[in-house]
Amino acid sequence: MRRLVPVPKESAITLDFEGTPVPAQEGEPVAVSLLLAGQPVLARSVKYHRPRSAFCLSAACSQCLMRIDGTPNLFSCRVPARGGMRLQRQNSYPSAKVDVFSAIDWLFPSGLDHHAMFAGVPVADKVMAKVARHLAGLGLLPDAAPPPRAPPELLNTEVAIAGGGAAGLAAAQALAAAGVPFVLLEREEALGGRWRLGAPEPGAPPSLLLPRTAAGLVRMRTTVLGLYTGPRGRFLASVSTGAEGPRLVLVHAPRFLLALGGHSPLLPFEDNDLPGVVSGRAASDLVRRRGVLPGDAPAVLGHGPELSALVALLEEAGARPALVLDTSASAAAGALAGKPLKAHGRTWVQALSVELATGRRKKVACDAVVLSVPPSPAYEVARHAGARVVFSPELGVFVVETDAEGRTRTEGVFVAGDALGGTTAARAADSGRRAAAALLREAGR
Amino acid sequence: MSKALVCTCEDVTVDDVEAAIAKGFRDVESIKRYTGFGTGICQGKTCLTTVAQLLAGTKGVSPEAVLPFTPRPPLQPTELSVLASLDVDENEAPQGGVPLSAGPAPEALRSKEPVPKRADVVIIGGGVMGLALAHNLAKRGCTDVVVLEKGYLCAGASGRNGGGVRMQWGTEANIELAKRSVELMKQFAGEMGINIWLRQGGYLFLAKSQAIAERLQRNAQLHNRHGVRTEILAPDAARDLVPQLSLKDVLLAAYHPEDGVIFPWPFMWGYAQVAEKRGVRVETFTEVTGLVHSGGRVREVQTDRGNIAADTVVLATGAWSPKVAKLAGVALPNEPHRHEILSTEPLKPFLGPLVTVLDTGLYFSQSLRGETVGGMGDPHEPAALEQGSTLRFLARFGRALTEQLPILGKVKVLRQWAGCYDVTPDNNPILGRTPGLENFLQMSGFVGHGFMMAPAVAERMAEWMVSGVSDDLFTRFNLSRFSGGPLEREDMIIG
Repeated sequence: MRRLVPVPKESAITLDFEGTPVPAQEGEPVAVSLLLAGQPVLARSVKYHRPRSAFCLSAACSQCLMRIDGTPNLFSCRVPARGGMRLQRQNSYPSAKVDVFSAIDWLFPSGLDHHAMFAGVPVADKVMAKVARHLAGLGLLPDAAPPPRAPPELLNTEVAIAGGGAAGLAAAQALAAAGVPFVLLEREEALGGRWRLGAPEPGAPPSLLLPRTAAGLVRMRTTVLGLYTGPRGRFLASVSTGAEGPRLVLVHAPRFLLALGGHSPLLPFEDNDLPGVVSGRAASDLVRRRGVLPGDAPAVLGHGPELSALVALLEEAGARPALVLDTSASAAAGALAGKPLKAHGRTWVQALSVELATGRRKKVACDAVVLSVPPSPAYEVARHAGARVVFSPELGVFVVETDAEGRTRTEGVFVAGDALGGTTAARAADSGRRAAAALLREAGR
Repeated sequence: MSKALVCTCEDVTVDDVEAAIAKGFRDVESIKRYTGFGTGICQGKTCLTTVAQLLAGTKGVSPEAVLPFTPRPPLQPTELSVLASLDVDENEAPQGGVPLSAGPAPEALRSKEPVPKRADVVIIGGGVMGLALAHNLAKRGCTDVVVLEKGYLCAGASGRNGGGVRMQWGTEANIELAKRSVELMKQFAGEMGINIWLRQGGYLFLAKSQAIAERLQRNAQLHNRHGVRTEILAPDAARDLVPQLSLKDVLLAAYHPEDGVIFPWPFMWGYAQVAEKRGVRVETFTEVTGLVHSGGRVREVQTDRGNIAADTVVLATGAWSPKVAKLAGVALPNEPHRHEILSTEPLKPFLGPLVTVLDTGLYFSQSLRGETVGGMGDPHEPAALEQGSTLRFLARFGRALTEQLPILGKVKVLRQWAGCYDVTPDNNPILGRTPGLENFLQMSGFVGHGFMMAPAVAERMAEWMVSGVSDDLFTRFNLSRFSGGPLEREDMIIG
């Protein structure tokens, strides 16, 4: 992993990593700073103490959890670096680099069955309960209680939109054009989602802009928690982060458009949790937002519309992929067909073993493994509202059941974009526009 | 060592998931509970797809039977202090909640096999009561037993409680039952071959009003008379047990070191697997639709998979008992009341006892896995079979907890859920024969503490059913007590 752009002098800072000074660029996620500084292991896993490092870069896995400035279990992939910040790894002894408890991983090669382990063995089960308690858990209590929190922000609008990626943004444009009041909640610091951070797909429209409109209100750095009901009807609950600390934002509306995208799944192969295995969305985010190349010779594997676009993005950024493997039945041009078997390496991936569709097995040296597969739809918030979620055997994921306009079975609740099944950014935007058109009709506009 | 991970939060491997499927867990909710996948910090975001694909690839599993586990709010870990910032109208009744009911279990999860045509005993309800009873009956040679459960094992209150186990009660009967239950829990792993992880860190009751203080003192004397060594502590001594505990308004505390917490889920699997080995049939995703009765007896239990003629029918459906009893024309006085609960990120051990404030219903403990688990009753909760989760609860609980233990302010909530207490007019259970329906036995009304009482109650009930020797428990707590006479009230209900 290396920087494509040197750190500007004015934003060069130093972090305190377990007593060692680590250079960083102010504002970038501390996980990225540490990886660039050659610290591969950010965490140790809860049970087997396996070395872990950032995988998704979007707070949707737990592989980068660290204690930061005295607060346990923070997603180091989401905490912006500030000078002097104290970073500590957790769940390891004496250190995350050399963790004696990683012996558990070796002692139980085929896993440790906590249900049957020492069950009913006199004395042993009592001792085990005590030992297990101390082995379980991740971080230690926070150093201090937090300062008083700001009171919640309460908003009322006609359409509440969760997610400002391709689908949410396209829908917001349509609502803005029609002068319909909306509130758009976006987790990142800017709108655009994949248009901004993903691998540019061939033929994708250029980045869209949301016109300034009196009707629309956009809340950036605001993460959705759920779609609740209360005495005044449905509302989106979310948390915004700013200089004043986290704050609840509640948005009441008669209509909702849920466009929260998806989560990067982990493909099942041996040692798929080794540091250096990252999701495709994380890889494109590194290149486009952070100016960081995830690997000079990465193995890129997966399937779907983003795979070849990602390979192109990585190549353009200077990488020479060691392997491009398409795991679907019909391999994309330029890719070999096959499936991953095992990642190799001790604390960072050094090679990947694969089985090609021809039956031949090969081991390819690489300095990163990038998993580019369509995201698992973020159906959760739609399900909070009572939408039906079904398993799609074709896509192999859970999807929200909607009609062609994104209407769920719950009145006033629409879904668009990747939450309906991973697709291209252009198609996601189309689904956002269709939902917006239906919402406008329902609102009598 | 080489492992293929499914869930990196909890270190669950492909082998673990395949083993659970091979063991007979064919729904995502059960696989989640048995393997622990999806219970960590990411709440299933990285792993659920892989599990769904493994399940969908299993012979005999149709895609319609592959359903996601209920996604619990919040979608991202959220600090208690942030949730506590929301002001709640304490005079308002809680309304709604998410997820809204997903409706009945889909047809695809139900076995295509018909249920047996007859059985000596049909137990309605596959919660801890029904399964513990089935186990105890089978152990006594009564193996022609069918247990009917409308969801998966653990779907009801037995799988939704905080796992508290205590001997500090307000009546002699409950103290004795709880004592026996703890004894049986200590033997559980040996008998059933599955760990329940009993951790005896004690229960610490805090009193913030004179009335509660007097109640704790009075009950401590009662406990001592029954060999339960509850101590009354001054506030400072309570803080010795729980460092950083706020002593604001605390008058005194009652502490019994042998109370504790367990993992609820393995009880269901343990009882079910041992009972099944002895011949009991445990039928999940099977709902009772009717109870045919005539001549003072229940004759047949009708289900969505066929009908079963039975000599004895036991009703052990917790908060659903009034609804099911009505099918036999029986009116039970129980009412279902939602109780909400949450779990935080797992931390290394910091909290020994389960701490509770009887004045407000706040309780919290640390599970063996390190999560802070806690809840708090809402005085305005209306009677209803409602299991939704509210933001109101997160706010009320967040505030109460961070006032009691301010250092938890930055600790993050991972998930919230709810279950139903099965509340009776005197906070005591309904047990024994139903007046007018000789062979219809009641086993409900445990007001949120049925879980910890089940091992002892089921043992007594099975003994009574098999031996026919009368047992005071089934007359004292008989349904007929509500028709007249004074009621003995249990006053140590949390929530």
